[in-house]
Amino acid sequence: MNRLFPCGLARRELLWEMGGGFAGVALAGMLGREARADGPLAPRRPHHAGKAKACIFLMMNGGPSQVDTFDPKPTLARFAGTEMPKDKKFINSGGRKIGFLTPEFRPFRPGGASGLPVSDYFPLVRAHADKLAVIRSCHTDSHAHGSALVMMNTGKTFIGRPSLGSWAVYGLGTENSNLPGYVVLMDKRGGPISGQPNWSSGFISAAYGGTLFRPSGDPILDLRGPAGITPAAQRAQLDLLAELNQRHMDQRPGGRELAARAQSYELAFKMQAAAPEAVDLARESQATLSLYGVGDKVTDEFGRNCLIARRLVERGVRFVQLYSGGGHLEDTWDAHAGIESNHGKHAAEVDRPIAGLLTDLAARGMLDSTLVVWGGEFGRMPFSEGRNEPGRNHNPYGFSMWLAGGGAKGGITHGATDDLGFQAVENKVHIHDLHATILHLMGLDHELLTHFHQGRHERLTDVHGHVVREVIA
Amino acid sequence: MSRQGLFTRRSASPKNIVSPRHRLAARGDWCPAWWRLAALGFLAALLCDTRARAGSPDFDRSVMPVLVSRCLECHSGDEPKGGLDLSRQKSALKAIVAGKPADSELWKRVAAGEMPPKKPLQDPEKALLKEWIDSGARWGTDPIDPFAVTTASRAGRDWWSLKPVARPAQPMPGNPVDAFVREKLAEAGMKPAPPADRRTLIRRVYFDLIGLPPSYESVEAFAGDPRPDAYERLVDSLLASPHHGERWGRYWLDAARYAETCGYERDQVKPDVWKYRDWVINAFNSDMPFDRFVAEQLAGDEVPGAGERGVIATGFIRLGTWNDEPNDPREYQYDRLEDMVGATTTAFLAMTVRCARCHDHKFDPISQEDYYRIGGAFWAGHVQPGSPLGGPDAKALGYPNVFGWTDKGRSAPPLHLLRKGDPARPGQVVQPGHLSAVTSLATPLADPPADARTTTRRLQLANWISDPRNPLSARVWVNRVWQGHFGAGLVRTTDNFGFTGEKPTHPGLLDWLAAEFVHNGGRTKPIHRLILMSETYRQASSHPLHERYSGTDASNRLLWRAERRRLDAESLRDSLLAASGNLRLDKVGGPSFSPVIPADALEGLSTKSRAWKPSPPEEQGRRSVYIFAKRGLLPPLLTTFDLPDTTLPNCRRDVTTVPTQALALLNNPFAHEQSAALAGRIGTRVEAKARVEAAWRMALGRNPSPDELSAGLKHLETQAKLLAVAGDPAREALASLCHVLLNTNEFIHVD
Repeated sequence: MNRLFPCGLARRELLWEMGGGFAGVALAGMLGREARADGPLAPRRPHHAGKAKACIFLMMNGGPSQVDTFDPKPTLARFAGTEMPKDKKFINSGGRKIGFLTPEFRPFRPGGASGLPVSDYFPLVRAHADKLAVIRSCHTDSHAHGSALVMMNTGKTFIGRPSLGSWAVYGLGTENSNLPGYVVLMDKRGGPISGQPNWSSGFISAAYGGTLFRPSGDPILDLRGPAGITPAAQRAQLDLLAELNQRHMDQRPGGRELAARAQSYELAFKMQAAAPEAVDLARESQATLSLYGVGDKVTDEFGRNCLIARRLVERGVRFVQLYSGGGHLEDTWDAHAGIESNHGKHAAEVDRPIAGLLTDLAARGMLDSTLVVWGGEFGRMPFSEGRNEPGRNHNPYGFSMWLAGGGAKGGITHGATDDLGFQAVENKVHIHDLHATILHLMGLDHELLTHFHQGRHERLTDVHGHVVREVIA
Repeated sequence: MSRQGLFTRRSASPKNIVSPRHRLAARGDWCPAWWRLAALGFLAALLCDTRARAGSPDFDRSVMPVLVSRCLECHSGDEPKGGLDLSRQKSALKAIVAGKPADSELWKRVAAGEMPPKKPLQDPEKALLKEWIDSGARWGTDPIDPFAVTTASRAGRDWWSLKPVARPAQPMPGNPVDAFVREKLAEAGMKPAPPADRRTLIRRVYFDLIGLPPSYESVEAFAGDPRPDAYERLVDSLLASPHHGERWGRYWLDAARYAETCGYERDQVKPDVWKYRDWVINAFNSDMPFDRFVAEQLAGDEVPGAGERGVIATGFIRLGTWNDEPNDPREYQYDRLEDMVGATTTAFLAMTVRCARCHDHKFDPISQEDYYRIGGAFWAGHVQPGSPLGGPDAKALGYPNVFGWTDKGRSAPPLHLLRKGDPARPGQVVQPGHLSAVTSLATPLADPPADARTTTRRLQLANWISDPRNPLSARVWVNRVWQGHFGAGLVRTTDNFGFTGEKPTHPGLLDWLAAEFVHNGGRTKPIHRLILMSETYRQASSHPLHERYSGTDASNRLLWRAERRRLDAESLRDSLLAASGNLRLDKVGGPSFSPVIPADALEGLSTKSRAWKPSPPEEQGRRSVYIFAKRGLLPPLLTTFDLPDTTLPNCRRDVTTVPTQALALLNNPFAHEQSAALAGRIGTRVEAKARVEAAWRMALGRNPSPDELSAGLKHLETQAKLLAVAGDPAREALASLCHVLLNTNEFIHVD
């Protein structure tokens, strides 16, 4: 493995760091910690005109099986019940039982005018086949959930690096100062393994970290005080605070940091109204709610989250990540015990909401400017876990992800796994490449988006990554 | 050749990089990056100037830097691209025909723009190469030594931070800090700010030395103390306080990447690692000599007589994250090695040695071999897979209930240099040693003595680091101390003294302090005292000419005023507890406590239900340095106020201002509890005026002004009406006032 570090200080990187021509983006890197004059989250010009103004990342926590969803492998039926060929080398994650090659658990059917095949786990998403660019040749660096999740989110298998959403907000700022720029919506069953490092801003300023939103009640931590403090009473507090801060500042001319902090209380006050409004679905029509599956027991939670994601993007939030699956094992897409039992359950929870999201975004004219990404931290093996058992083990060597909207092509597949759906073999797309492509669609050049830290110009993609041009419209 | 001409010729220097647009960007503020680059360009020109005068054509001084920075990355080493090694005369001449550029493959490729492939040479660089070949292609040092001298694009062994520390003469009499600072101010035609008043000063020095606010009574006593040495007494008492180590130890814990769990899926607790935290706090309280401070952390198990305490200190080596199911265990052992090499060299040496894991450092004279030389010290321990929690057990350590480090024995497996950092491509075996760029200390490592149980490599590394002749360690240390007092170091990149770091704003002062530190036997408290007694430290944070001075030095590099600072996460929480009366200063040391974290904040954990059990109420008032540092869940209240990630060493915290901080102080239950407790301390039995006064005294350490008093009284009235439904409107109104005071800029900033 090439572990070369990007210690080179390319001219354009330097320009970028120094804000040459880019309105001071990343200026903070070179200036040490001195804050950007207009605040860390102010909107910034992209490197190039990117179609996607925002990204919604649908994270299928646990790792969906590609050969059962978006990567049909008829060959598997022919070899069903036989052993994996000896020349296919892999790490048997967790030392689990290795069974026989097993075909898909639900059939594939062509979707849309493109005929792009999608299995019966996603019948409603299939109707949007013409909007999808399915990348079938993804591969990643870890077979274990903890490090593979961190890999998908931060580009490295170890914790401590800034996440994709943080880089996006670092590069572009946010359009709505009353809301966080980067929002993460959890599954009620729990968070992803490795926790907060998955949405951390790492060594970039904490201002770029993801904010957890709860799907009901007060979405943000500390959005409201304890019961008993009425809005009027709080307004009176803020008025006194402003008065005292003003007196304090009057005695300290030039205290820009004091003014910024005083101002942040007014922003916070507005956020208290804006954030609940953003997650309040009361004004959504019954038709919209039904479109997302809100109100239906199975789809309600993910449907709400998808609808909230649209509302957030509508209000200028830059990056929203939604988790399907939380905690461990069968509460996630981690289908060791059975593809049908596991994926049957989880796909039913997300199929309608995702289809609803794509329909709604398109109907509102938002799909062109909103990139939707779907996938898990890795895929699953083409063979069963145990002989003739219904589950499948982890597979980092080949899996599928798809993009929709935001400048991605529709109705296409890119790359391929081998005949068994085991390993990416054609037009392989590493996570770095996927990251580079997502940033590109958002108008950011992954080689220019750097943060100077402990002697290195750090990037999301380290020294790797190629934009997958074939999936860009 | 004139300086002007050289500037033009060496246009690949960073001067050229500064585009007109950037200059526009720089104009609004006094931009240090711009300054740095301009200075660099100027330096490059100067260097070239000297060289030119020394005689030409000169390979080592002009041609070599171009080859090094533009060609050798590919065309050198074991497997040079295209089989062409340009670092050696003999092989380079395969592509060069002396006197005939047109027949030289090198020139043909360069002239055609084919080489270097991605970024063609600038015209002046091309002209230089052509001129050199034309005039006979005379070679200099063979093979090329890219580390010999500093060029426009990289540091050599003559880089400022690698030169021996020599105590410079004090430019004027008086406190040496003031002498050096005033010299620079005078050069810039500036004057320092007037002295801060006593009330400001005591608050500043309290937070600075112990991280806590002074009580109203302490402030008044100091303000009225007629003794001429009142301030000196104050400083000495705070330096002697047991809370000093709690404050300053925290800085070191950041640099040491301290946390108490492993990270990753299971995020296992590292048992007893809190003893390392207590070791650090005690080290600062007892003003442990620097050599001992280094030796115990890197090799406490090898220090004669250090005993259990020494083994606890070696926890330093083991503080990094640890993954119990790495994807590739063979590669993972090298990741762990990088963590140890990186933490050691960042924390003690402020050099980015980590960058040389896969190749020679691109900017500093650190070879890839150097990286593995340092790595050899740790390779003798439990780096390889298979050890519980990634290190030695109690038996190997010799003590139960200790989390530390030791070697596996007197010898270690050979450590191969890895080509491009690839474990599948081992190169030569590297002998353990030190950084080759520190030429004044090129002592080879000795074999362990006959009775040693370990390799003693770490002890030798520690002794090399703390050797008075080591040019980096003392500078790095006193710079850290300076940063603690002023918010920014004399070298602002506290973690990077290399080419890509910043240069010292006051190089003379840095060296003077470093020399003084060594002279004092590596004791830190005398350095604190020296700095704290200076007028530079004691000046006000506002300057009568603020507007004018901000125009030229907005970031206060010349120290024309004191820097106003926002409380860091721990000081903020501790101050809230101090105001409320809930602070438990008596609970010093011992196992960490888990603060109450609201259920909402636990939603991101994969194991919600069993993830977090708060400690009993009597633990909740302990200082923040004792909070259980769980990598998967750092307390949200603290991370909101820039508590850093614990994966990598952190040498300087961010200071951000975002609305979620306001939300936290306005709405977090903790803030409300402290406000209510403060109101409870004051009580509602006294008259309203006395309540307001007491609130000001307890929250801000002073009496309210008449205007503030009336604003406070008005607030009590208004809130009592608005909160009439509450059980005790007067109490609620007072809590509301206290809450406002705890949110003020005055509370959270230190002048």
